[in-house]
Amino acid sequence: MSKQTQTVKPKKTFSDYWSSYSTVAILVLMLIVFSALKPSAFLSTNNFVKIIEQSSITILLACGEFFGIILGGIDLSVSSTMALSGVVCAKLMLAGWPPVLAVLVGIILFGAVVGAINGSLINLTNLPPFIITLGTQAIFRGFTYILSDARSVSGISTGFMQFVGGKLGGVVPMPIVIALIVALILIFFTTKTRAGRNIYALGGNPSSAYYAGITTKRHQLLCFVISGVCASLAGMVNIARLGSAEPNAGTGYETYAIASVIIGGASFFGGQGVVWKVVIGGLIIGVINNGLNMVGLSSYYQQIAMGALIILAVTLDRFFGASKDK
Amino acid sequence: MLGLFLKKRNALTSGQKEKMVHMNSLVEMRNITKKFPGVTALSGVNFDVQPGEVHVLLGENGAGKSTLMKMLSGAYEPTEGTMVANGKEFPRFTPRISQENGISIIYQELSVIDEISIQENIFVGKLLTKKVAGISLVDNATMKQRTQEVLDEIGLKRSPGTRAGQLSIPEKQMVEIAKAVAFDAKVIIMDEPTSSLTTEEINHLFEIVDRLKKQGKGIVFISHKLDEVMAIGDRVTVLKDGQYIGTYPISEMNEDKLVTMMVGREIKGTYLQDPNRDYGDDIIFEAKDITRKDNRCRNISFQLKRGEILGFSGLVGAGRTELMEAIFGAAPMKTGEMTLLGEKLNIKCPYDALKAGIALVTENRRVTGFSPFFSIKQNLIQAKYLKESKFGGMTGLINKKMEQEVAEEQRAAMQIKCATTNQTITELSGGNQQKVILGKWMASDPKLIIFDEPTKGIDVGTKSEIYKLMRALAERGIGVLVVSSEMPELLSTCDRIVVFSDGKKNGEFTSLEATEEALVRAATT
Ligand SMILES: Nc1ncnc2c1ncn2[C@@H]1O[C@H](COP(=O)(O)OP(=O)(O)OP(=O)(O)O)[C@@H](O)[C@H]1O
Ligand SMILES: [Mg+2]
Repeated sequence: MSKQTQTVKPKKTFSDYWSSYSTVAILVLMLIVFSALKPSAFLSTNNFVKIIEQSSITILLACGEFFGIILGGIDLSVSSTMALSGVVCAKLMLAGWPPVLAVLVGIILFGAVVGAINGSLINLTNLPPFIITLGTQAIFRGFTYILSDARSVSGISTGFMQFVGGKLGGVVPMPIVIALIVALILIFFTTKTRAGRNIYALGGNPSSAYYAGITTKRHQLLCFVISGVCASLAGMVNIARLGSAEPNAGTGYETYAIASVIIGGASFFGGQGVVWKVVIGGLIIGVINNGLNMVGLSSYYQQIAMGALIILAVTLDRFFGASKDK
Repeated sequence: MLGLFLKKRNALTSGQKEKMVHMNSLVEMRNITKKFPGVTALSGVNFDVQPGEVHVLLGENGAGKSTLMKMLSGAYEPTEGTMVANGKEFPRFTPRISQENGISIIYQELSVIDEISIQENIFVGKLLTKKVAGISLVDNATMKQRTQEVLDEIGLKRSPGTRAGQLSIPEKQMVEIAKAVAFDAKVIIMDEPTSSLTTEEINHLFEIVDRLKKQGKGIVFISHKLDEVMAIGDRVTVLKDGQYIGTYPISEMNEDKLVTMMVGREIKGTYLQDPNRDYGDDIIFEAKDITRKDNRCRNISFQLKRGEILGFSGLVGAGRTELMEAIFGAAPMKTGEMTLLGEKLNIKCPYDALKAGIALVTENRRVTGFSPFFSIKQNLIQAKYLKESKFGGMTGLINKKMEQEVAEEQRAAMQIKCATTNQTITELSGGNQQKVILGKWMASDPKLIIFDEPTKGIDVGTKSEIYKLMRALAERGIGVLVVSSEMPELLSTCDRIVVFSDGKKNGEFTSLEATEEALVRAATT
């Protein structure tokens, strides 16, 4: 009846394409840059396998971090959770627990409990997740040192190491298989379940979510439980790769996790973001870390370059992504 | 009350009318077309603002009023057309050009920042500075003084340092107007300024508008309330589905003519209730002695019979919204019992209310109404999903087919104007967003539905559809409670009206007894 309802075929602009594929574009760009700088060392199957293996821990942490950020919050405790659960799992194996049981209890269940502690504290105090997880980051790290006597915990079952730290069919690193399985489950959770949908609503506008009937505290708790379990799984992968549980493992990794999520296009204000891009974000961090190594930059300069690249990636994203209808 | 104002004002301004035509336009928009992906929001629209006039912009929800104004403020770029300010032509206004030419807009969704003071709100982004030893410093003293002057001028009795979060909605609106006045705006655009004001507040607003007008400012006024349009307007421009219908002097118009132009058909304002009907004693909802923990409503008891619509009248802040929040579980109760269809309710949070079959269409759609990043479809299905799921609404999968069906059903029922239901809800016009919220609750199949200012920002045509919907719901045995600041709305739809004053029930009227005077008296004593 009117001009309104006539559908003109929407023309896709550059910024539309950019907002869908920016993360992939940044990954390709990084690959090209490092290939050009150091083709010999960077461009080898071996190196790529290494990148992927190294990235898997970042990806696992980032997948969990995503659920803190989607709420408009953050989880700073992921790095400590990773170290603590690694030590717990190693101690259980040392005590003679079969690896499967040690993983179920020391990683999955323990990660869930740690996440639930974060979530409950936030629910009870109504304080921002930033403050609570800043506190628990220190607390969990402290427990890690106490539990491990500030020494690395060895005695990890070799079968466990060969399986979790090994290669599937002798080719694909098991850590990335684990990370991708986790990512697939979370992609399913965020896109196909009602609880996942509710979490987006909650992050986008907490008060309208509450008035719509969403049980906000329960969903918030769930988010931090997911984050805790993901961080624990990163801890599991880490001890399998190293062959021991280090009490200082993962120190500072929360930065990588947060960077992956933001490079993956999730909004810091909550309610917007997708898991598969966060996985790409984790890979980007892996490529940058590895590439800077290959180029032979000292680790101090690496930190500077890393920081600059993160800022660049996010700026590019905002610049092209936000230019809609202006 | 508006009538009185109308007479007074005409006496004052009749002399100015002929002069207007010969003056130079403050701004002009020629042949403006605006396309969004998939939608032509405006085509070939002309619009201008003269000094000392109130130019009304009229049209149904989604007609393109807000979009047109956003091109004046520089927020949007016209797809085609020319913009003129002070005789100079531009292909588009940037926010800068707009500001330099004294254009100030008060958006439909207020943009006052709660966390900062009135003064900071007024000067946000335009801090006054003074030079001390060559260094620019923020000049708090001057800003405070200027704020005080402006607040006095428009009659807002608050100190400049008051945090905006403490202000009521009408007061926040005054702050927006103060912003415009403080920067000596020549054109002040008010997008539905009266949609959340009571009659008295509207009169106050009109006095301010009149004063601004006499200072030679051009006012653009958008409203769905035709009596206001007739009372305050000098000229009117009518849009229909983005098409330009025309610009006319208000003196040649009447309400019926306006409706016919904007809707294309006649709408009869009819009374929907039958005052002589006996509803018997079949009580479907009962509230006993409800007192909120924060005492913002106290000792409220009422009953709702099958088939009835119960209205709630009173001044803003009298505790009506507060009561509804308590019933819905969004605010804790100190005392109180509720029964719905014979069952005792135990409601601790909105989720419990939803499960029990209670829906609340809140008055503040931007804050509590919808999920802003969600599509129309995702918003429409939200309550239904939650109600069907178990364990705090967490179980269950997304069902694309059901989503599609529910969305199409509600889109048709609520006459939501959109290109597809996959559009983000924030792309909709204000009124259409409200329809999505209504649709969301209808889809959850409620047994009791509470409407808090249900027709805020809704055009005349849809309004009467919503009244009919309420009546149809009541006939189906669904409980309907209506909170409204528009007395005609309550008088024409409700079978009984409860009046609140200062957090307490202060009177109850059947539709036979209820008159505007009676309601006002009960609300103010
Ligand atoms: N950013 C946008 N993207 C796509 N479509 C839009 C956008 N903004 C507005 N529209 C469309 O333009 C049309 C006009 O909207 P507008 O907000 O101007 O209506 P309105 O006359 O102000 O209505 P109301 O009385 O409900 O406030 C609507 O169909 C709306 O969906
Ligand atoms: Mg509008």
